[in-house]
Amino acid sequence: MTQGTAVIATGRAGVTRMPRWLTSEHPFPWLAPLAAMLAVFGLYPLIYAFVLSFQQRNRIKRVDEFVGLKNWIQLVNDDRVWNALSVTLTYAFVAIVIELALGLLIALLLDQDRKGYGLMRALMTLPLVVPPAVTGMMFLLLEDGSFGWLSQNLYMTGLLSPEHPILATGSTALMGVLLADIWQWTPFMVLIMMAGLRSLPKEPYEAAAIDGANAFQTFRRLTLPMLSRVMAVAVLIRGVDLFRIFDYIYVMTSGGPGTATESLSAYAGRIFMTGNFPYAATLSLMTMIVVIIIANLFVRLFKVRF
Amino acid sequence: MSFKDYDKHKFVVDTCNAFTQKRITKRDFLRKMALAGLGFSAFSSQMLGVGRPVGKMLGFGSGYAEAQTPPDVEKWLKEVGGKYKGTKIRYSTEATPPSIVANQLAKEEFTKLTGIEVEVEIVPLEQVLAKATQDVQGQLGTYDLYYLDQSWMATFAPDTVDPTQYYKDNAELAMPGFDWDDFSKPLVEGIAMYDGKMVGIPFDIPIFIMMYRQDLLDKHGIKVPETMDDYMNAVKAITEAEKGNGIYGTTVQAKSGHYSLECDWTAFLWGNGGSIFNKDKMFSGNDERGIAGLKYYQELVKNAPPAATTWTWDGEGQSVQQGQAALLLSWGEFFPGFDSDASKVKGLMQAAKPPKENPGRRAPSEAGFGEIPAIGHQGGSVIALSQYSKNKEAAWIFMQWACSKDVMARVSTLGGGASPMRLSSFSDPRVKEKAVVGPGTTRHFDVVNWTINNAMGSEPDMPIWAELSNNDIPIELGKLLTGEAYDGSAEACMNALAKTIDEKVAAAGLR
Repeated sequence: MTQGTAVIATGRAGVTRMPRWLTSEHPFPWLAPLAAMLAVFGLYPLIYAFVLSFQQRNRIKRVDEFVGLKNWIQLVNDDRVWNALSVTLTYAFVAIVIELALGLLIALLLDQDRKGYGLMRALMTLPLVVPPAVTGMMFLLLEDGSFGWLSQNLYMTGLLSPEHPILATGSTALMGVLLADIWQWTPFMVLIMMAGLRSLPKEPYEAAAIDGANAFQTFRRLTLPMLSRVMAVAVLIRGVDLFRIFDYIYVMTSGGPGTATESLSAYAGRIFMTGNFPYAATLSLMTMIVVIIIANLFVRLFKVRF
Repeated sequence: MSFKDYDKHKFVVDTCNAFTQKRITKRDFLRKMALAGLGFSAFSSQMLGVGRPVGKMLGFGSGYAEAQTPPDVEKWLKEVGGKYKGTKIRYSTEATPPSIVANQLAKEEFTKLTGIEVEVEIVPLEQVLAKATQDVQGQLGTYDLYYLDQSWMATFAPDTVDPTQYYKDNAELAMPGFDWDDFSKPLVEGIAMYDGKMVGIPFDIPIFIMMYRQDLLDKHGIKVPETMDDYMNAVKAITEAEKGNGIYGTTVQAKSGHYSLECDWTAFLWGNGGSIFNKDKMFSGNDERGIAGLKYYQELVKNAPPAATTWTWDGEGQSVQQGQAALLLSWGEFFPGFDSDASKVKGLMQAAKPPKENPGRRAPSEAGFGEIPAIGHQGGSVIALSQYSKNKEAAWIFMQWACSKDVMARVSTLGGGASPMRLSSFSDPRVKEKAVVGPGTTRHFDVVNWTINNAMGSEPDMPIWAELSNNDIPIELGKLLTGEAYDGSAEACMNALAKTIDEKVAAAGLR
């Protein structure tokens, strides 16, 4: 046998010589392709963004200049960053609470094997396949102050005045954007909750029934505790996603009125589109750092295990 | 009848027979008809069948989509362009009528004749900016051509090839009869020049004109406004009289944080004798005329549908189509849409010269960074040849073709009344013929032409203008107009902007 090859027995042809690394039990050959992809598509852009955050574009000389911590200092002193962080946290918190509550409720209602429920479960997934930008456009039209169906109905009920369009009023604009998010992503929560419900053991429920527990007691004492880990994972996944919220805001409000709906990603996106890549990179890195901190706190607090 | 006439008639009859029996294609049929010296009206062209997809998409008639490339241009495309067969050129552009039409014609005519493939990315304007910025900062040459808004000329001037110079230096690539003098001088000065260099060839010219509902003005005995005071009085009078019917005096594009709001603001700033910068390159939106301009705009917003503070140009145009506003000073590009079949005001709208500035126009010499104050805010763009292109020759051939007399005239008709870039387009019989009430009308072109040559306002040329006009200015204006900040005080808003902008200008080393 030559160096660097291995002999593998095959059914009819006797033996086939294979490169040794293809039969190795060492993890390196098997991890290498994925590691290479991560390095190219994950690590390199991250390092590039990090380097960029210490530079500034000189628009007269048309070169990138090293400016040390200038972008980071600017970020700390930038009122819009703190406003954007506050908007992002509010948005993420409200969205998660509503989507989780609605998702759990709908999952409980749909968790039955009666006729037609399968179809309803399938229909629930439809919003998930709509591109977020299209969803944003749909809700932009629904909430339009002059022509929007939703706005017109709210005017008729007296809950809203035509003088204060949903998306042009600071106190309602964020909720207007959240509607799109909730419509699109509640089904995601439904799917996860439903999968969790289906995986719960039946024995505790049988014991509870024998003990005479009512439906609410069963839900509070059994379902919720047993589902908590699934819920925590769902919140984590959705929370990370919500921190990057951009599409709906970009399409529906451009971050306005003023900066009332400007999230961190929306701010970074705006700066990026005007060509200030170093500051946009700094903002993006800050978003990433905040997500890592919050996600880790959450994992420790709720003892999430994967 | 002479033998020659007989032959010609027989040729026409035989061709018609061949076409009706489907022995020849529509294209061959038109070519033969052209050889026979026959032209076709829009009506007869329609009768030949449904037009190109873009015609349907835009909701306009196919009309001159079927027009032929002039023989000399066709020969040039084959002989000169053919040398670059197989080359692929790329550019990204906004979804403007010229871009869409040129893209469509490129596939159907340019590529067929030259073999040069044209790959076009149609994306929102801010993404066009981001892509072009990435390309020039890395000097990548990913895009052979850039679609550049007039406000970006200073930013991209060093990255582009001066087309007039390239035309002279590469006579073997020059298109026959391109005629540089066919572009009006104010247009070239306003949108294509920076620091004495021509950055690109003018490609489209959306420009503010005045548009009004004739029926409503007649109903209330209001004359067509000629001054800024007339305009405001008319707007207020109609709001007062018609608000109960859901009709407002005017409409605006005042979405907070959007470039459209900046466009509106500049028009009324200039219309009230102000300018964005003074000759010392300091922000002057907070001087006496600047404050007057913003207060004027605030008053207009009060007389517009409340939802207008969530609208960009799309919502503004739609509101007129839906019969919600009587007068507007905005993009002439809207006008053909008002005459469309889907419009509730079809045939009711008229175009007029913008009102005269009050108390007068500030001279360009009193403004900074090449700003040209005048009420007819222009949002034109150019198509520019990238310094970093690896396919300059092929891209240059496409650029000349896309900006040629024939294509530009067809862009105006096929593009549903998009404002012409070339002087010859205004008098082109194909364009003139569409100057009637109906989809894709060109009946507002005389006003557009007048405004380009007499009242065209241009934003400053400075490398950080894209950032200021897309970020700082519309956000602060949005805060003011939606009551998020400044408590309605135009002075407070402008003073805050002055501080931010002056700091950024100084930090960028521009003063």
